[in-house]
Amino acid sequence: MSLPSAYTEAPVRRFDVGDRVAVKAWYPPGHRRTPHYIRGKRGVIERVCGAFANPEELAYGLDGEPKRVLYRVRFRQRDLWPDYSGPERDALELEIYEHWLEPA
Amino acid sequence: MSEQRPHDMGGEPGGPIDTVDHGMKFWEKQANALRNTLSRRKIVRLDELRRAAEDLGSRYYELEYFERTTEALRTVLIERGYFTEAELRSKMAEVRRRYESA
Repeated sequence: MSLPSAYTEAPVRRFDVGDRVAVKAWYPPGHRRTPHYIRGKRGVIERVCGAFANPEELAYGLDGEPKRVLYRVRFRQRDLWPDYSGPERDALELEIYEHWLEPA
Repeated sequence: MSEQRPHDMGGEPGGPIDTVDHGMKFWEKQANALRNTLSRRKIVRLDELRRAAEDLGSRYYELEYFERTTEALRTVLIERGYFTEAELRSKMAEVRRRYESA
């Protein structure tokens, strides 16, 4: 028996699995779901998680519509940390909303 | 570059990690149950609670976990107009009197 998946359909989207993306180097004030250390970094779409009410708006009591597509993005650890000494293949995966991503 | 909010600490030195399980105090269990019930019933949103906690700024790490989440809950309930600051203070005083006279 498996638990129901949190993943939902996102037929209308900008990116697909395997696409190279860059996280926007944006610094707007307020509740943001993209950590500072990943802003400006490049990665690859690992999966499409679905479309969800925008938490950055839900955080201020708004309804979060229109929904935003959420992706799991894979980054190389060596691209994130200047002194990273682990194996080349080590990766970090983060879930990032579409409005934070651009083609790379 | 704008503010980096207190929860956004990925990649920074974390210092020693306290791995002792401190358990939960009675009030912490009560406060947690209240917060979970209000979230489950969508009276408040988890996202709002996180935002209100981050808004604590430098106080974020001065407070313990359940103090922080409870203060965030109070902020959001007042924002949404379920009660006013004055009503909350008056109720707290009433409960304290009842407790101390018991």
